Amino acid sequence: MAEHGTVSIIINGVEHDVPEGERLITAAERVGEYIPRFCHHDKLAPVGKCRMCLVEVEGPRGSALTTSCTVPVTDGMVVHTETDVVKKAQEGILEFLLLNHPLDCSVCDKGGECPLQDQALAFGAGESRFIEEKRTFTKPIPVSELVLLDRERCVVCDRCVRVADDIAGDPLLEFIDRGSYVQINTFPNEPFSSYFSGNTVQVCPVGALTSVDYRFKARPWDLESVRSVSLVDSVQSSVDVHTSRGKILRVYGAENDAVNEGWLSDKDRFIFSAFRSPDRITTPLVRDGDGFKETSWSEAVELVAMRLGGHVGTEVGAIGGANGTNEEAFALAKFMRTVVGSPHIDAQLGDGLDPHLASSITARGTISDLDAASTILVWGPDLKETLPVLYLRVRKAVRNGAALVVVSPYSTGLDSIATHSLRYRAGSGPEILRKLAHGDAGYEAVTETLANGPVVALVGRSSITENPMLAEAVAAFARSLPHAKLLPLLTRANVFGALDMGLAPTLLPGRVSTGDAAGVSLLEDSWGPLPESAGKDTMAMLEALIDRDLVAVILAGADPIRDCPDPAVAESALDAAEFVVAFDAFMTDSTRKAHVVLPAALWGEVDGTVTNLEGRVQRLRRSVQPRGMSISVSAALDDIARAMGAELGAADWQLINKEIAAVAPAYAGMTADYLTFEAGEEGAVVPIPGATQPLGHIPVEVNVPVVTGRFTLHLAPALYDAGVLVRNSHMLEGFADPGVVRMHPRDAASLAVADGDLIDAEGVGLPVKIDPEVPERSVVITRNLDTTRGIAASADIRVETVRGEP
Amino acid sequence: MSWFADLLGPFRGFAVTLRQVTRPRVTIKYPDEKRVKPDRFHGRHVLNRNLDGTEKCIGCELCAGVCPAKCIYVRGADNPPDNPVSEGERYGFVYEINMLRCIFCALCVEACPTEAITMTHLFEMSTTNRDDAIYTKDDLLVEPDGTPNHPQPDSKLIDLNELKIGDGWMRATSPSGRAAYAGVVQWTPSARTGALPAERGQSGQVNDEDSGEETDG
Repeated sequence: MAEHGTVSIIINGVEHDVPEGERLITAAERVGEYIPRFCHHDKLAPVGKCRMCLVEVEGPRGSALTTSCTVPVTDGMVVHTETDVVKKAQEGILEFLLLNHPLDCSVCDKGGECPLQDQALAFGAGESRFIEEKRTFTKPIPVSELVLLDRERCVVCDRCVRVADDIAGDPLLEFIDRGSYVQINTFPNEPFSSYFSGNTVQVCPVGALTSVDYRFKARPWDLESVRSVSLVDSVQSSVDVHTSRGKILRVYGAENDAVNEGWLSDKDRFIFSAFRSPDRITTPLVRDGDGFKETSWSEAVELVAMRLGGHVGTEVGAIGGANGTNEEAFALAKFMRTVVGSPHIDAQLGDGLDPHLASSITARGTISDLDAASTILVWGPDLKETLPVLYLRVRKAVRNGAALVVVSPYSTGLDSIATHSLRYRAGSGPEILRKLAHGDAGYEAVTETLANGPVVALVGRSSITENPMLAEAVAAFARSLPHAKLLPLLTRANVFGALDMGLAPTLLPGRVSTGDAAGVSLLEDSWGPLPESAGKDTMAMLEALIDRDLVAVILAGADPIRDCPDPAVAESALDAAEFVVAFDAFMTDSTRKAHVVLPAALWGEVDGTVTNLEGRVQRLRRSVQPRGMSISVSAALDDIARAMGAELGAADWQLINKEIAAVAPAYAGMTADYLTFEAGEEGAVVPIPGATQPLGHIPVEVNVPVVTGRFTLHLAPALYDAGVLVRNSHMLEGFADPGVVRMHPRDAASLAVADGDLIDAEGVGLPVKIDPEVPERSVVITRNLDTTRGIAASADIRVETVRGEP
Repeated sequence: MSWFADLLGPFRGFAVTLRQVTRPRVTIKYPDEKRVKPDRFHGRHVLNRNLDGTEKCIGCELCAGVCPAKCIYVRGADNPPDNPVSEGERYGFVYEINMLRCIFCALCVEACPTEAITMTHLFEMSTTNRDDAIYTKDDLLVEPDGTPNHPQPDSKLIDLNELKIGDGWMRATSPSGRAAYAGVVQWTPSARTGALPAERGQSGQVNDEDSGEETDG
């Protein structure tokens, strides 16, 4: 929004300068005059439904009661908020609101933090004249599997409806009936199955909408709140983690206008139930025949130190590190490069982008740049499924007038609001890019839209089957657009932090390329000699394990068998490895092949800093103790290094944090103290003033081959897949799709299959779903489901009808 | 004549003693005899039940929230509708009072919206083990017939009948939210422990016809 000037208004006889065009209720609050409200919410459109914010505004025909949430301030406005008339109105409104509101505060989950309670106390009459019985409804009714509704508590403020309609774009809640029987409800047989349903619980000013998981678990005065970051995806939404007696009980979105504006996806909000899963690894485990036996930390550390120390450094690789803090990633990078002496480190599993592009692209934008964009180009994974909070931000920008161009091999959550939605057959992305860049016939309208700057381009890999170089080419194209800002899209929680900490074969901490001689020698001054050659990436490491060029591998929270493009290669690589040590919180396909499994603390259990997709560093704070004997990866590595006769200096996250600020150029000065005392709760984008970034990656136009085959594959990512946290979270498990092969009707006809018929996709049998949204000669399969995870992620796929079907 | 006064000194002292001989004795032979306690004596807590045997406690944790000594630990849970534990939607799943920390101020009693927790006249709770001083729900909750429980048996020292005597207590506000009673503090001198009738609803009518409670006001 454009900057406005200020206007002068008089509130209760005192003159104030407030921003022009602001709503009166916000302006009054800014200058310290709180006006009570229920329906008003800073992030929602005004509706003036609850009438609680009535104030007297003087006009040409005398003063009149007006809802302050709907009125913009104007110059010379005279407002009274505490007159007898206003008081009487407020008391009357509260008496009416309480007419049907049950007095079950002592049972209600909102009791103790309820705006209705608070305002009835502050602004109510204290007594009601109504003695009639209140309305009752059957309660509670589930509006979704995560949210319960107690209709009789509703004060008809419309907040949840506006969150569902305007913010999330899932118009699934509505008012039904009239008068005193008005109630909020879902449409018949259509549950409120939104990825953002938890936000309605948070904005509800009464206890009408409650979370299934939190219901009756605790009362507000039991809770301790810790401001932290949700390490679920790379947006890294700010959250308040509410704990009681050492347990996380709920997660609320925290107001951070630079990142999530208070909204969260349900995955952010409810994933914490995985932390208390009974399947957590709580003790170090050592291979014993086919199984594992529990051991002590000291024995496990001795064993790992001995086995790792027994190999030449360059025979050891490390995969992962993108799920922890920057400090953990830095400790792993330093451990590999100094203690072990190996350059083979990769935080991505062959499912990401070129590390230079992801960490150091020039003209990198921020999430809030989206608000000011005229045009937004999204060419990457389906935002709704992978980065849902970023999806909300794009929606907001479009609602405020930005044009949106979505390019994707399959329908995405943004298609319905896109100005132009371009669909291409998976694997033929380069073709459409060429047409767009040349403004070919049929693409004039899109080109015209894209010519209207400022443009923010969100660029990533639409799916793991897509050539990663396409993103480079798209970024090069996007860079040529007027006033273009680029946001590289990777989805794994702290992958940008991990890359910035040097967890990539071609990067050193602080966005330094391994090919940058000055940068390397600067780091060698404090770290000692570094391994000379550039390292191998994950796929090369796995191949090397099979070829015995590598013999040992460290898995830091990584599950290559599930996540890398070729599960079969990963499986035989881990089988071939002489020694595999895994840091993980859960048993996964890959950790089952490890020789030592060390219990790793999850993100609610460690302290540190994290970096999101725009390069914003925020403080991640510990809210509960690590489960069992789990410790952070960095603390474990510190012990292992000591057992190997080296000093890592990673015993404490603050030590590492100081070292990062000292040796990582782009992170110079980015200490925890800077974040706490100078940057504030918004965090700060690196490099901060005074720091410089050595590497500035300029994307180049590369020639990416078009995949030609009878069928090409788009492995569509899904928010609820069979990922390790989702399947261990009792709140979210079971939300995953059963897994189908989507194909165009004409392709289905050519294969002579109908909806529901079993089809053989690269050796995996799946039912067919005919979907005209899929481009011809292309199939779409949801990635990483229990049924689909065996499918190798190559763009070319063999699809055959199952013969001899009954 | 100061030597004479010195001679009389001991006798003068005895005069005090002799004067007391004729007066009634203050000392009682506790525990053979017990003093009558004031109506509002704050002794051990009990958790009461409704007349139908369900628990009064709805697990709202107001007692824990108001407790200045932080000696109460409550956790609520969803009330099974087919076999309800309390009358509300939730019930006190865990209820513990650490009697070593309790200062017997009765703020919990005042805060309780359902009269689930009240205080009695029993104060003899000494234990030889700190853990035993933490009273669990089993110890605190009365039986469906109103018989109180206590971790120690009835004895010369511990008169379990005292658990049936509720303390009189103050209500901070008028009942039922009736405007006519705004600001009137009500005094309930009656003993209220054991199985209790339900409180009156907002309409001022008796909610539970069987209780035979009269409407007042």
